[in-house]
Amino acid sequence: MLINRDVSKFVYILFIYLLLCNSVAQKIYVELNNTVPCVRLLNATHQIGCQSSISGDTGVIHVLESEADLEWPLSKGPNPPYMVLLESSLFTKSIMMKMKNASSRVAGVVVVPKTSPPEFSPHTTCPNENTGVYTETYDHNLAHCNTTVWNPRGNGLSYEEFDFPVFSLKEDNETEVIKQCYFDHNRVVNGSGLQYPLCAMQLFSHMHAVTDTATCMRRSSMDFSTSPVMVCDPLGGYNVCAFIRPYNSTAFGHKENESVVIAAARLDSKAFFLEDSTGAEGSVSGFVTLLAAAQALCEATQEAPRTRNILFAFFHGEVFDYIGSSRMVYDMKNNMFVIDLDNVHSILEIGQVKTCISINVWTYKCMDIRSNNNESVTNLVKNLQSSTAGLNFSFVETDFSQPLPPSSFQRFLRARAIPGIVLADHQTDFNNRYYESFYDNAAHLNLTYPSNLSPEEQLEFVTDTAKSLTEVATAVARTLFKQAGGNNSQVNKINADPKTVTQMLYGFLVRSNNSWFQVLGSSLRCVFCLSEPNPPQYYVGVAKSSHQANALTYLVQYLLANLTGTATNLTQSQCKKPDELPNESTYLYSYLWVQGMVPPNSTQRESFCVRTAVRLVKAVSPAFDLGDYVSKEYSTWTKSQWKFIKARIFLVASRDLEMLTLGVGVAVLFTSLLVTYFVSTKADVLFSSVREPNNAAY
Amino acid sequence: MNLERLPNEEKLTLCRKYYFGNVYNVCVWGFAFLPFLWLVNVVWFFKEAFVKPTYTEQLQIKTYVKCSGLGFLLWVAVLTTWITIFQHFRAEWGEVGDYLSFTIPLGIP
Repeated sequence: MLINRDVSKFVYILFIYLLLCNSVAQKIYVELNNTVPCVRLLNATHQIGCQSSISGDTGVIHVLESEADLEWPLSKGPNPPYMVLLESSLFTKSIMMKMKNASSRVAGVVVVPKTSPPEFSPHTTCPNENTGVYTETYDHNLAHCNTTVWNPRGNGLSYEEFDFPVFSLKEDNETEVIKQCYFDHNRVVNGSGLQYPLCAMQLFSHMHAVTDTATCMRRSSMDFSTSPVMVCDPLGGYNVCAFIRPYNSTAFGHKENESVVIAAARLDSKAFFLEDSTGAEGSVSGFVTLLAAAQALCEATQEAPRTRNILFAFFHGEVFDYIGSSRMVYDMKNNMFVIDLDNVHSILEIGQVKTCISINVWTYKCMDIRSNNNESVTNLVKNLQSSTAGLNFSFVETDFSQPLPPSSFQRFLRARAIPGIVLADHQTDFNNRYYESFYDNAAHLNLTYPSNLSPEEQLEFVTDTAKSLTEVATAVARTLFKQAGGNNSQVNKINADPKTVTQMLYGFLVRSNNSWFQVLGSSLRCVFCLSEPNPPQYYVGVAKSSHQANALTYLVQYLLANLTGTATNLTQSQCKKPDELPNESTYLYSYLWVQGMVPPNSTQRESFCVRTAVRLVKAVSPAFDLGDYVSKEYSTWTKSQWKFIKARIFLVASRDLEMLTLGVGVAVLFTSLLVTYFVSTKADVLFSSVREPNNAAY
Repeated sequence: MNLERLPNEEKLTLCRKYYFGNVYNVCVWGFAFLPFLWLVNVVWFFKEAFVKPTYTEQLQIKTYVKCSGLGFLLWVAVLTTWITIFQHFRAEWGEVGDYLSFTIPLGIP
């Protein structure tokens, strides 16, 4: 009895000890949590991006100090493979290409973004060259950017294929830990060899898809086993659309005697590390201007209906071969949208608009670029020129020989010659030094706030950028008003609100979790419960099968709804089912439950129901509906799936020590087998003499 | 199962069963499993056929063992050739290669 209790106590104590003490793994590895990987994307012909091996790539850390220092990991270093740590100024095409060519000695690359380089654009020089309107058959001189190279600084790094993982780390404690580990163990002392153990890093980013979209879609759809493995997903999202005068959303096809002016802007952008995309000048400036113009116009058109309707369209996925706009044109051609191409009167698109010249009392020059259909375009331009009366800038037409820049308007032109214009701040090639890169952020757009302001005060502070974008928005709103047949006398009363513009710029580029976005947002869709204050992700993401859009789409939807819709008195349950009420109709409007403000004396938000004409329209490339995965007409971009992505650092021993340990272990194994064999054959000799004394005792 | 204890006739029956592939009186193994049965035949009955002193049924057992051995070697040659070709060229065959595969490895062509 005593023995049993002791044994059970011992087992109990051992169990507690094992639970409480740290596992060995925690003592070896330091996990890195704030990483952004480079992933693999595929289209009809290529795969781009990075791939690691299935059990991760391990390499000895080497902090690169200059381009000449690249010799150490590539040729001189005695302990390949190396994991190269770069700062952002060294993240250039030449260094990456050299490492790509020597990929047997490079296990991976880690980029630590610090100061912005003077210019950097990982996009191609001719964005969307094969899916615009300028193809070889249209005009050989204008195809493939033969006349104007739009992005001359583009180095095409985003479109290269690397067979080692490339990660990006935020500059914070983890980077310090890595650098400390490097300085402690890996520093070369007086040019002599390094002493083991060395500091190493392991990156896991194994991508499932290979070759091209057709292959990975074929492999995803084969299901021999009970749980088919999805290998890749098509890119896509939702376009945000709003008519000034809504139509019955279930009646598709041509609408008799209806003429619509489309005001378009682009929502998305990308960067080398997709989840880190910001796109301040590339896309935010454009769609914020259009949102402000929508607000200004809706206030003015409350009274009288116009002769023409206006459609505010925010297209998603434009960076990846015009996913959103090609989908809308396809829907219009196939009677799957409320209007069709015959109803479209003209198109006005806002491209990249940043302040062209910085402040002071100069005149700003913003260019616009013409297309076909001379008379309608002349009218449109005339309306545009006259709308800048009283504003601090003017519109300048570019030379007729210039082609259109990459824009959603080109997809409409590919289907039909519709008159239209594109507004942008560049005259020939892009002014944007950081086109589609991680550095196209708030600082690039000159959003500077005085240092002593709190976040709430920064939200309300009207920056100069906001002022100039407000002027552009006012001009656009007035032009649209006149295009839609509005009364000329009312025009000058239309003004965009600079406070709205600056709040939007703050929310989209500096901090999304601010009080204004929370007021206008939804309590149901928890995109506004953004735990990090960072801006939303501008990359279009994967088209999900459930009706879930990404945070950016919801933000734009709720903003547009609040800026152009009307607040109603409906309760929350009525807001979900408004058809039961006599004056409400879900055919024409959509009803959104908005969080609302917190009144000064209470803690509960006063939520309300907004009646709005804003709708989300699916934006997935028609190639996936048609099953044509090698399409040259539509976008075929897909993103690979993966199981997990992680990074960790640890100390690694020399190969000789590893082999020695293994050898000793194997030797111990064989010795023990041998000893056991001998003992078992001689068992009767060894043990019989011990047995007899026992027998004698009994 | 210890062959020592079986009478010779039963040994012959067993060897024949393994040669023709209808063990347990059920001919369901089919052609695909025959190589394994033949290997079993060769290994198990080798001593009986070639080492033990002669008895009446031994001649038939010897025939079965020899034929099993030959069949097994032939199968090994065919399978090795096919497996080598398939593993080497599966990536290049594209669609055909994928349709012939049961599980397709992830992340490599």
